[in-house]
Amino acid sequence: MPILDILEFPDPRLRTVAKDVASVNDAIRTLIDDMFETMYAAPGVGLAATQINVHQRLMVIDTSEEQDQPLVFINPTVAALDEVLHEYEEGCLSVPGFYEPVSRPEHIRVTALDRNGDRFTLEPDGLLAVCIQHEIDHLNGKLFVDYVSPLKRNRIKKKLEKAHKHNA
Amino acid sequence: MTPAPSTKAPQDARTAAAKTLARVFAHNESLASLLPATLPSVAESERSFYQQLCYGSLRWFYQLNPLLSSLVPKPLKSKDSDIQAVLLIGLYQLLHSRVPDHAAIAATVEITKRLKKPWASKLVNGVLRNFQRQREQLFSEQKSNPSFISAHPKWLVNSITESWLNEASSVFDANNQQPPFSLRINPAYCSPTDYLLKLQTVNKDAKVTPFSDVGVTLAQACDVFTLPGFSEGSVSVQDEAAQLAASLLDLQPGQRVLDACCAPGGKTGHLLETQPQLGPIVALDLEQKRLTRVFENLTRLGQTDRVEVICGDAAEPSKWWDGVSFDRILLDAPCSATGVIRRHPDIKLLRKPADIDKLARLQLQILQALWPLLKPGGRLVYATCSVIPLENTRVIEQFITTQADCNEFRLDVTWGLEQTCGRQLLPQHGGNDGFYYAVLTKLDA
Repeated sequence: MPILDILEFPDPRLRTVAKDVASVNDAIRTLIDDMFETMYAAPGVGLAATQINVHQRLMVIDTSEEQDQPLVFINPTVAALDEVLHEYEEGCLSVPGFYEPVSRPEHIRVTALDRNGDRFTLEPDGLLAVCIQHEIDHLNGKLFVDYVSPLKRNRIKKKLEKAHKHNA
Repeated sequence: MTPAPSTKAPQDARTAAAKTLARVFAHNESLASLLPATLPSVAESERSFYQQLCYGSLRWFYQLNPLLSSLVPKPLKSKDSDIQAVLLIGLYQLLHSRVPDHAAIAATVEITKRLKKPWASKLVNGVLRNFQRQREQLFSEQKSNPSFISAHPKWLVNSITESWLNEASSVFDANNQQPPFSLRINPAYCSPTDYLLKLQTVNKDAKVTPFSDVGVTLAQACDVFTLPGFSEGSVSVQDEAAQLAASLLDLQPGQRVLDACCAPGGKTGHLLETQPQLGPIVALDLEQKRLTRVFENLTRLGQTDRVEVICGDAAEPSKWWDGVSFDRILLDAPCSATGVIRRHPDIKLLRKPADIDKLARLQLQILQALWPLLKPGGRLVYATCSVIPLENTRVIEQFITTQADCNEFRLDVTWGLEQTCGRQLLPQHGGNDGFYYAVLTKLDA
């Protein structure tokens, strides 16, 4: 299983809105396995297909302490259950080295397909709820830096561009 | 996504353990909730030592604490429960760890500074050094104290001794050991004997469990991902005693099953492995948070589509039951967990005698509430991980005498001790956890 390259902000491809996965087949399952390997190696707790330049609505998550509870979400939809917001300091594999507090709904309901194409619904809380919303944003071409002030976002952009030039 | 790294410098094992234990003493919090919250803030190389200090100091609390009481000149104030924790950690290292005494004492005295209580450094140093000098005498003072000898609280010593007489000392011994690491193997994957061969290829030593026909016990705990078949869901971590539940249900194809109080879902998965043609399983638990864990477990096993997960109170079926009765019910009732003390040594401190009566009432109440949901001719398995008869045999006796359409099915098995109702497994050194099972059948109307 190969480790895939992760796109980094401000790469314009991260702004692509992903399309629904048409059928959950073996090719998708291979992609899922590669994404888990990439995510665990990074290390991260969630990875959306957008980040590896695959623009299909698919994401993998594992927020457990021992990193032994992999979750797959295909064509996910999310709804906030109430108006309570929860602030959490987020980071992103596509924005390496930067962390900013982001407020999101604390109580959500998410429905998606699993790796067998079966539909399931979850009402997660805590880190898992934060992570699901963060990854669904990726599928919509959105990044967590979009929630911080333009000043901060620009500073992060400049620093990453400089780093990319340096590594090129 | 990546969560923000802790901005604070990582803690050392001893300071973190002192803070954790202080919260157990002062606020009756459990290790199960404190450890996952604290671990990320502990330096990575110190994490296993941190866990050893927390588990060990609580496992031996009823020996360490009486020794300390004779050594501390005047009792500590309640706001200084962290200093009590420091002393316990120090004494634990002197008695049960491989850290050389001088190093253990020096490092333990250091904690007082990190807790911003430098006044206590002299006290900690003095107490630990006095212990080294008076060791023999201190032990001989305690030699006829049953709580000290067994390292259990007095009420539990009495309860276990009265209930299990000759077996009591082996129960205490098993409770003070490191728990064994047992696995359940999906029969569709391979037999336990074949699994031993797979384990040999990764250099792991194990043996087949004596009572469960799908279990193996490893000689040493290990990272689950190094186990063949774990990530594909063919292998799960589960104690041998808990593996017995599925076989007692006598599961047949197409049956509708209720798994009440199912979190974290270990047994739910086992039911489907035992009878792959099972009808839908309804998995119930009181806490939504614990159900997420159930879902994660079922996902790993690839069985989410066959289970309907419901958040609800087993004692109040009217709030969640759809009116369709069940062929089988597994009631793994909330209990004192006194059969799994070696996995949760904080139970020795947290559980109080009054809890037992409360739990027994709740257990009977849940049993009475779920009984009407069982089809005539159906079967209910009652299980607890308790070794206290008040929560086990007494509950079942009381239920049977008041329930005309209920029969106890006598088990013809080799494990456990036969009780007036059901069978009791006592925790075994290197073997199964403490567990209780009773099988009830409903008479045809």
